[in-house]
Amino acid sequence: MIVFARMLSRLFVLVLIVTAAIPVRAQHVLRWGGDAEGGAPFVEADPSDPANLVGFDVEIAELIARQLGRTPQFLQIQFTSLDQSAKRGDFDIGLSGVEDIPARRQSLAASIPYYEFREVLTVREGDRDRYRALADLRGKRVATLGGTMAYDLLLGAEPTHGLTAVSYDDDVHPYSDLALGRVDGVVLDHVLAERAMRRNTGLYTHPDALAVGHYIVITAPENTALRDQIDAILRTAMRDGTLEAIFRKWNVWNDDQSRLYERMLTATAAQPSAAAAPSNNELIRRYLPSLFRAALITLILSCAAMALAVALGMLIAIGRVYGDRFTRLLLIVYVEVMRGTPVLLQLFVIYYGLASVIRLPAFLAALLGLGLNYAAYESEIYRSALEAVPRGQLDASRILGFTRLQTLRLIRAPQAFRLALAPMTNDFVALLKDSSLVSILTVVELTKQTQIFATNIGSWVIPGMVCALLYLAMSLPLGYLARRLEGHWRMPTS
Amino acid sequence: MSRVLDARGVHLKRGSREILRGVDLHADAGEIVALMGLSGSGKTTMLRVIAGLEPRDAGDVTAAKVGMVFQFHYLFEHLSAIDNVTLAPIQVLRVPVAEARQRAQSLLDQFGVGHRAGALPRELSGGEAQRVAIARALAVDPPLLLLDEPTASLDPARRNDLGDALSGLAKSGRALVMTSHDDDFVRDFATRVVILANGAVVEQGDPHQVLHAPSHPATKELLQVERSKK
Repeated sequence: MIVFARMLSRLFVLVLIVTAAIPVRAQHVLRWGGDAEGGAPFVEADPSDPANLVGFDVEIAELIARQLGRTPQFLQIQFTSLDQSAKRGDFDIGLSGVEDIPARRQSLAASIPYYEFREVLTVREGDRDRYRALADLRGKRVATLGGTMAYDLLLGAEPTHGLTAVSYDDDVHPYSDLALGRVDGVVLDHVLAERAMRRNTGLYTHPDALAVGHYIVITAPENTALRDQIDAILRTAMRDGTLEAIFRKWNVWNDDQSRLYERMLTATAAQPSAAAAPSNNELIRRYLPSLFRAALITLILSCAAMALAVALGMLIAIGRVYGDRFTRLLLIVYVEVMRGTPVLLQLFVIYYGLASVIRLPAFLAALLGLGLNYAAYESEIYRSALEAVPRGQLDASRILGFTRLQTLRLIRAPQAFRLALAPMTNDFVALLKDSSLVSILTVVELTKQTQIFATNIGSWVIPGMVCALLYLAMSLPLGYLARRLEGHWRMPTS
Repeated sequence: MSRVLDARGVHLKRGSREILRGVDLHADAGEIVALMGLSGSGKTTMLRVIAGLEPRDAGDVTAAKVGMVFQFHYLFEHLSAIDNVTLAPIQVLRVPVAEARQRAQSLLDQFGVGHRAGALPRELSGGEAQRVAIARALAVDPPLLLLDEPTASLDPARRNDLGDALSGLAKSGRALVMTSHDDDFVRDFATRVVILANGAVVEQGDPHQVLHAPSHPATKELLQVERSKK
């Protein structure tokens, strides 16, 4: 008891020290959030010294920190989570090619724009005359980075131009998939497009702007004082050429910026006028159909993947119970590899890794990835269920003259299936939720659509609730059905 | 009398342990042969060798088609009593379903469990399950019926019912070979008793004679052990 009390008091002292230290540290350090996965020229690990970050956003963050008299400290945040992190106060300022969109201005404190970009269309070199604008891409898949202006632009073009918007979690794979022929066009800002053109051969970017946007710095909504300081720092840097020097160094300076800075400096303290943001209700109405569509994709994908997993799992289980030594060893290796490595990795390998051998469509790759992975788990369920049928019954059936196949079909498998039903239902519910992983293969299922929804309205509350309800609406009937089936099989059969 | 089972010199080893050491055993139609012996004497193993469930290391076994009733019955748990009985006739012998069901029902009736035809195995009592198991074994019409400890789970009244039923089967021309610990049951219903000790036959003959005046020390020990249990 005394020891415990002493431990508690020590813990208390420790907590005091830590909490006391935080504000002191926070005053000296400027925590800035960005996504180094976005890469050059925004934020990137220095190829010659990976511990060091380089990029124009890095230099702007350093500039702001220097002017504020604080030390910059980088925080890796996934691009699509930057807004939520800013709101939570994970960092003081966020910049990583963050776009100026109405929802962001509404939910966060946003700085004046510091860079103007053009949304541009990139196609394969051979298609440059065929696909000149979005209108030429009817019935085609057009890729972009999720949660960006470009994605909204493409969503808006879906009904008018009959194209399909494909959302990626990063800005590298849209272009590599374009080169592979998985998509027929990419719409992103010209900075990303120019970088992609250097990395991939055989691509062509149309110079005309589909839209114009700006990069901004974001801070927590209540942190308007810091925001105003940043605005002042940015204006000074526009006036004295510091920003121009940074952008010239990274080869992204053009006349658009001179005009932008002129506007920013003459508009004095006035905030750039953002277009009136649509109301939340309207946004929800706009997104609800796409959530239902995404839920349907989740359901179809899960059912198809489970069907594959069940069929393959049964074959594996039968092979492990009845097969010769070599077959058994082979199947054990399969099961252990599939269970022992992350399904995320398996999805990547199937979709991107095998792309040079076989170019699977995203949905099929997702189905295969999940199905092959879950087959390993299902096979273990069936194997133990098969082993659980008493040996004595197998002896009895042998004496009665049944062949091995008949024994399996008529006696062993039906009983094993009843035993396997409860763990199978568990796995199906798990699969329903694991299916959200396939969003990395550009399949927009329920979780991904919810994330897009949340990013665009700047809140997780309503999208999160709708998403949870939809998942429950899918998983609860499943449990009910399984219980009914189990009950049904308890009844006499004649 | 026609010979239904003729086993000669059956040897069986498990690892270095000799379970059966040259067992001779025969059975004719109409006989009820009881295999007796202490636990570990090899009687259940001998039954399994006859049924073809255990490979033997040496010896010859000539047996007609066998049916077997296990100590723990091992009914197919997912099928009703009558479906347990009809499964082999329908699937193995290709008997038409209606005919198989009719025959199964009369077999179940014959053993007094006709009213339980629709019950699942888990809903049956031990005695009922045993009788369904006998009906299942008889459904493919084997001339030789093997029973492993048939009285183990029965009370005395049920034991006599079972004995009468087995006698009826023998009279209709089948040969029965059973293992048993129950010398009273063997004396009352078996036509011949075979005493096994350490994997070999030590004595056999008329149950009244052998069990009344045992000539081999192993038989005496067996009877002593069994009496001490009662």
